[in-house]
Amino acid sequence: MSKEIIIIGGGQTAANASKTIKDSDKSYNLSIFSNEDYLPYERPPLSKQLLTSEKKIDDCLFYKEEFYNENNINFLPNTEVEKIDFKEKLIFTGDKNYSYNKLLIASGSKNRILNIEGLNQNEIFYLRNIDECKKIIDKVKKIKNILIVGGGFIGLEIASSMSKLEKNITLVESSAQLMGRIIPEEISRLVYEKHSQSGVKIFLNTSLKSARKKDQQYQINLSNNEKIEVDIIIVGIGALPNTDFLNSSDINIDNGVVTNEYCETSRDNVYAAGDVSNFFHPIYNSYMRLESWKHAQDHGINAGKNIINQKKNYEEIPWMWSDQYDLNLQLTGICNDYDQKVSRGNNLDEGIIFFFIKKNIIMGACGVSKGPKIGKDIRISGIKIKNQEIIDINKIIDKNIKLQKI
Amino acid sequence: MTDTNENWIYVCEADSIEVEDLKRFDHENDTYCIYRLEDGYYATDGNCTHEEFHLEDGLVMNGEIECPMHQGIFDIKSGKAKSPPACIDLKTYQVKVDDNKLYINL
Ligand SMILES: Cc1cc2nc3c(=O)[nH]c(=O)nc-3n(C[C@H](O)[C@H](O)[C@H](O)COP(=O)(O)OP(=O)(O)OC[C@H]3O[C@@H](n4cnc5c(N)ncnc54)[C@H](O)[C@@H]3O)c2cc1C
Ligand code: FES
Repeated sequence: MSKEIIIIGGGQTAANASKTIKDSDKSYNLSIFSNEDYLPYERPPLSKQLLTSEKKIDDCLFYKEEFYNENNINFLPNTEVEKIDFKEKLIFTGDKNYSYNKLLIASGSKNRILNIEGLNQNEIFYLRNIDECKKIIDKVKKIKNILIVGGGFIGLEIASSMSKLEKNITLVESSAQLMGRIIPEEISRLVYEKHSQSGVKIFLNTSLKSARKKDQQYQINLSNNEKIEVDIIIVGIGALPNTDFLNSSDINIDNGVVTNEYCETSRDNVYAAGDVSNFFHPIYNSYMRLESWKHAQDHGINAGKNIINQKKNYEEIPWMWSDQYDLNLQLTGICNDYDQKVSRGNNLDEGIIFFFIKKNIIMGACGVSKGPKIGKDIRISGIKIKNQEIIDINKIIDKNIKLQKI
Repeated sequence: MTDTNENWIYVCEADSIEVEDLKRFDHENDTYCIYRLEDGYYATDGNCTHEEFHLEDGLVMNGEIECPMHQGIFDIKSGKAKSPPACIDLKTYQVKVDDNKLYINL
């Protein structure tokens, strides 16, 4: 088999795919093209321990430089892939081109941009990579009043980290509930209370109408007619798959690069995985695109295997987590397709979990606790989802019965 | 024959841990996990080597402990890191049971 493998994007998916390939056979020629200046690193700390300076960049690398050297992985930083010619099997960067036998698209996702009347984009802060994180850290050192736009996971984690730094925080969310509708309303409310107790002022059903710069501050008009003054505006309103460089190419794109359960795209020898891929999930019998750390890891590993012909279908059950203050939230499966919703546990010390059940099969589970108390039960739920187990609902809700024993 | 390196510390009644389960044990400034598998008792350090979260709320299954935080997996008997994000092994300790009393060798 020809051995020239190229990975586009140097994030978590790339790190895991390259390790899988090299662990199996060191003789593959493997190059990673990244438009960032850093070796692949974990993004979750960007909104958590990096933002509060509890961690350093070095602590967040998946693998240190020696790993890439010892495995002879050609990592090209600050190198943007601009175009692909699938017929000729070439990728283009600036005035150079490179040929591949197998290609993995692992370009992740990018920030959804918010246009704010009265402001230029360069006055608005976002958080997706180390450079953006550094910019926020530098800025907030000198200021006190922060506006966060977006009450999703990232916006809320930024609020939690900023409150540790004793800032005045206002957060606006355009919908009626924090963290969207994938999270049970009850958990969303608990999280709302936690933020409020920590001094974060939250406006739901509210958006930004306009902003005006005055000296070093911004005067903000909100849709609920409140007027506030802040020193920085940080926007976290979701992400979009990074597929712009594929616009002129002939490959199936629909909310990301479309792949089957083997990470294969519509083009021969071209694979996609992680945040950028809209993949077919055999258990749910539908396509999904996930922005989740665990998925990027497992999908990257799966892509690695399929690239080197260890054909393996991908059927991991979605799982993600968020840390806010001392709370740990975990979500597995899908929580929007159910005929019954039941709960287990009634306090944050021991954990509260909501199960989304359809025809007596768990479809999804979402929980919250102080620390990862819910971790085990969420994991067991994931196993039950994967096995499509028929469950006894009366047992599931009884905290005295171990979920593992059901 | 006595081995001078042995330092057996009493943990708990052996049958207070169910099969395929674990118990946290704190001693001096350190913390451990004591496991009961089908074929006996085992012990490892208490904190995950990924981000130092305690494994006490983790899942014991097929001779492995899975971290409750990010699902890193370790082999209980050898402490070997089996699945990312765990990549550093857990330290293991000897345990023994004497008349239903469980001891760890620290
Ligand atoms: C602030 C933040 C916090 C998060 N917290 C959590 C959490 O708590 N829990 C959780 O489950 N998930 C979390 N996530 C999500 C998780 O980090 C992502 O799902 C994961 O990083 C996806 O990995 P990936 O490799 O697919 O993409 P990415 O990590 O996005 O990596 C893709 C890389 O490709 C580069 N790239 C894009 N286009 C090109 C091109 N044309 N040429 C070269 N390079 C290119 C990008 O710049 C990037 O470096 C968080 C994400 C962010 C941003
Ligand atoms: S702390 Fe255990 S896997 Fe991350």
